[in-house]
Amino acid sequence: MKSSLQQQLIADFLIESFEGLDQFDQDLLGLEQGSADGETLNRIFRAIHSIKGTAGCLGIQRMEKVAHVGENLLSLMREGRLKANKDIISTLLKYADALREMLRNLEQSGTEGTTDHSALIARLQELQGEPSVASTPSPAPSSAPAPAPAAAAIATPETVAPEAVTPPVSTEPNPPPTSAAPTAEEDAAWGFFSDAPAAPAPSAAAAVESAPISATPPTSSAPTVERETTSRGSIADSAIRVDVGHLDKLMNLVGELVLARNQIVQHIRSSRDSAMLPVAQRLNLITTELQEGVMKTRMQPIDNVWAKFPRIVRDVSQELGKVVRLEMEGRNTELDRTIIEAIKDPLTHILRNSIDHGIESPAKRRAAGKSEAGLLYLRAFHEGGQVNIEIMDDGAGVNTARVKEKALQKGLVPPEQIARMSDREACNLIFLPGLSTAEKISNVSGRGVGMDVVKTNIEKIGGSVDVQSEAGQGTTIKIKIPLTLAIIPALTVRSGGERFAIPQVNLLELLRVESGSAENSIENIFDAPVYRLRGKLLPLVFLNRVLSLEPPDPSTLTSLNIVVLQADGRLFGLVVDSVSDTEEIVVKPLGKQLSGLTCFAGATIMGDGQVALILDVMGLAQHAQVAAVERTAVSAKTEEAQTDEQTRRQTLLLFSVGDRPRMAMTLSEAGRLEEIPRAKVERAGRREVVQYRGQILPLIRVAQHLPGGGEDPIADPMHVVVYSEQGRSVGLVVSNIEDIVEDAVRVEHRISRDGIVGSAVVHGRVTDLLDVKGIIREAEPAFFES
Amino acid sequence: MSKTIMTVDDATTMRRMIAFALKPTGHAVVEAPDGRAALDLARSRQVDLVITDVNMPNMGGLELTKELRAIPSYARVPIILLTTESDPEMKNKGRAAGATGWIVKPFNPEQLVAVVSRVLPN
Repeated sequence: MKSSLQQQLIADFLIESFEGLDQFDQDLLGLEQGSADGETLNRIFRAIHSIKGTAGCLGIQRMEKVAHVGENLLSLMREGRLKANKDIISTLLKYADALREMLRNLEQSGTEGTTDHSALIARLQELQGEPSVASTPSPAPSSAPAPAPAAAAIATPETVAPEAVTPPVSTEPNPPPTSAAPTAEEDAAWGFFSDAPAAPAPSAAAAVESAPISATPPTSSAPTVERETTSRGSIADSAIRVDVGHLDKLMNLVGELVLARNQIVQHIRSSRDSAMLPVAQRLNLITTELQEGVMKTRMQPIDNVWAKFPRIVRDVSQELGKVVRLEMEGRNTELDRTIIEAIKDPLTHILRNSIDHGIESPAKRRAAGKSEAGLLYLRAFHEGGQVNIEIMDDGAGVNTARVKEKALQKGLVPPEQIARMSDREACNLIFLPGLSTAEKISNVSGRGVGMDVVKTNIEKIGGSVDVQSEAGQGTTIKIKIPLTLAIIPALTVRSGGERFAIPQVNLLELLRVESGSAENSIENIFDAPVYRLRGKLLPLVFLNRVLSLEPPDPSTLTSLNIVVLQADGRLFGLVVDSVSDTEEIVVKPLGKQLSGLTCFAGATIMGDGQVALILDVMGLAQHAQVAAVERTAVSAKTEEAQTDEQTRRQTLLLFSVGDRPRMAMTLSEAGRLEEIPRAKVERAGRREVVQYRGQILPLIRVAQHLPGGGEDPIADPMHVVVYSEQGRSVGLVVSNIEDIVEDAVRVEHRISRDGIVGSAVVHGRVTDLLDVKGIIREAEPAFFES
Repeated sequence: MSKTIMTVDDATTMRRMIAFALKPTGHAVVEAPDGRAALDLARSRQVDLVITDVNMPNMGGLELTKELRAIPSYARVPIILLTTESDPEMKNKGRAAGATGWIVKPFNPEQLVAVVSRVLPN
C-alpha cells in the first residue's frame, strides 16, 4: 500500500509532468516552424530531464528508463550535435504521447502500464546513433547498486533496492575520469570535491586553493549588485497552486451568500427600516465584489485548451496531406474552468472538421488560385458578458446544395422546407444529427456524428453555435458561451401559483396580450396553439398545461403573458400567469430523484427564501414537441422582421435606482441631467423642491414609485433627470446616471408594472424602461394638466 | 542547533521529497523553484546549506553556485549539486563553480541525510 505522502508526491509529479509535456509539444512545434529561441531547446531538454529525475526518486522505473532514452537524444540536440528535422520531431511527439500514456496509467491504476515501447525506444536510439557516436556522452557506470528510490524507501523503509536501472545506451566505453576532478571520497551516488569544503570549517588552505571560494568578494560580483536591483519576485512568490475543490467550495459558499444577500436586501427594503438600508447596501456591494473576485480565481485563459491545438492541427493535416497554418487571437481570454472543460471536446471537433471538410488539398487550392497552405484562424473575445469564440477557415465553404441534398435524402427535413431555405439556414443543417457530407468517411472527423453533438454540448452550457459560410471563400463558426454557470441572471415568472426562473440567455422578448384581443390573436393550427407575432406564427406552450398546474382563474385573467424563448434553434412562446423581475440566481442542481425531469434545469432560492425551479428551456421545447428546424427558419425571419419594422435605433439613458437592476429611459424624455447638492433641497409641504433656473423644481424620488419602494440612500450631490413639458419641469432623483447608449431596441412591450413601461434588451441585458409620465402623474398629479 | 537548508529545484515533487527526507535532521527547509529565486532568497536570509538541481529555468545550479560564492556570507556555505548520472562532465563544472559536492538522482533519503550530516554536523 502506498503511503499518503507518496500518493501526494505522485499527484504532484503527474500535474508537473503533464504540464511539462504540454510545453514540450509546443516547443517542438516551435522548433519545427523555426520560431524557437535559444531557451526552447533547454526547455525541451528540461521537461524530460525533470520527469526522469523525479520518476527515478519515486521508484517509477519504467518511466525513468523511457525518459532516459529521450534525454540522451535531447542532450545531443541541445549541444548542437544533432539538428532537429521532421522525423526527429515526429518521433519526439510520439514519445511525449507514450510518456503521457504512462502518466495516465499511473494516475488511474498506480502503475505505468504494460504497453511495449521498445520500438519507440529503438527508434530514439537509432536517431541518436546517426551522428558521431564516439562523442556521445555516456552515463557513469553503475558500479554500486542503484540507490533505492527515495519515495519507495519512504513508503516501505525495508524495501530492498530494486534492480539496477541499466542505461540502455551505454555501449561505448566510459571516458576515463578527468584528472582535473579528483575526488576525496565518493561512491556512485554522492561525493565531495576534494578541494571544496566538506566540513563546515574548511581549512584556510582549501579555501585559497579553490579559486571561486574567496573571503573577499571578487570583482565579478559587480553584476550581482546590478541584478539585485532588477531582480523580480519569482513565480513561486506571487502564485500558488490551489486545489480546484477549494475553489468550487468557495464558489458554492459565495452562491449561498448571494442568496442570503438577496433575502436580506428584499426584507429590509420591504420593512422600510432606514437604519438598516445603508448596511444592506454595503452588504450588497461587498457580496457582488466577493462574487466577482471568487469568479476571477476560477477563470482560466482559453489557451489552456488552445495550447493543444497546434499539435492537433499538425497531426490531422499531415494525416490528410493538407497544409494548414493555424493562427490564434485572444489566447488570454478567460473563462470559468467548468466551461473550459466543457468546450474542450466541441472545439477540438470543430477544428478537426474544419481541416477535414473545410480546407482543401494543396492541389485543389492551387487550382482555385489560393495559396497551398490553408488558414485556420481562431479568435476569442469577451462581449456583452459572454465569451465569443470564432473558428474561421479559408477553405471551400459549406456546400449548401450538397447539404440540402443529403438532408433530403436522409429524410431529415421535409422537401418543401428545403426549397424555402436560405443558404444560411442550409449551412446550419450541418448541426442536424445524422448528416455527413464528406465524400469519403475519414478517421478524422468521424462518421457524421459530431457537429450535432458539438451543438448539443455547447447548448448544454447555455451557449449557442452559428455557422456562416461562403462557397469557395471559407467557413466561420461562431460560438457564444456564458462566462460562468454558477450564478446567472434569470427572469422570474408565475404559473399556477408557483414561481419559476427562466435563464436570461434564453429570453428573447416579453409579450402581453390584453384579454380582449387574446382570444382573437391565438389560433389553433392542427390543435397546436400559435400566436401571430409580427406576421409570423409563434407556437405557444402553456406552462400550466405542460406541468399540470392549476389554470388561472378566468375571471381574474385580464391579459395573456407570453415569454418568447429561444433554445436549440427553436423559438416559442411560453404562456405564464405573470412576469416578475429579473434577478441574479444561484443555480443548484436538482437531486438525483428529480434529475430525470426534462423541463427543469435546477432550482434556486429566491429573495424571499422560497425555492423556485429553474426551467430548462431546451427541455421544455422538446417536451412540448416544438418543431426544431421550422423554428430556425422562423427565427431567422423574425430577426429580419424585427430589423424591418420593430427595431428602431434609440438613444437611451441608462441609470440605476438603489440596488435594482439597471433601468433606462429614452433620452428624448430626459431634458437635462443635473447634479444638485442635497443642501439645496428645500421642503414645500410634503414635497421636496429645489430652486432651479429661477423656477421651483419639484423633486420625485424614483425609488419610491417602483415596486419594493423604499428610501434608497441618495448620493450627494443628487443625480437628477429634469423632465420638461410646456414650460414646466420636474426633477427625477435617481441613484446614478450610468451611460447613454444608442442601441437597436429589440423589444418594447407593455408589461405595466408599477413605474415600469416595458423591457428592452440593451447591450445584451434586459433593462426595464421607466414609466416616466406615469411616475410624474403619480407624484405630481397636476403636472400634465394644462 | 537547528540550521536552515535551502533546496532549489524546478520540480515541486523533488523539493517536497527532499524536504521530507530532511525532516529527521530537524533543520528548517526553505525552497526555491530556480536559481534566480534561490539567489533572491539567499540574499534576504542567510541559509546554512544549499542543495540545488543543476538544470533549471532562469538560472541553473552551476550559475547559482558561482553567484552565491560571490556573496561574502556564502563563500563557505556548503553547496550540494543534485545531478543525474548522465552528466559526468558536471563534476568538473561543479567543482569549477565552487560546489562542495554532489548527489546523484535518484538518491535515497539515508544518503541525503548522510551527506547533510557531514556538511552540517550538529
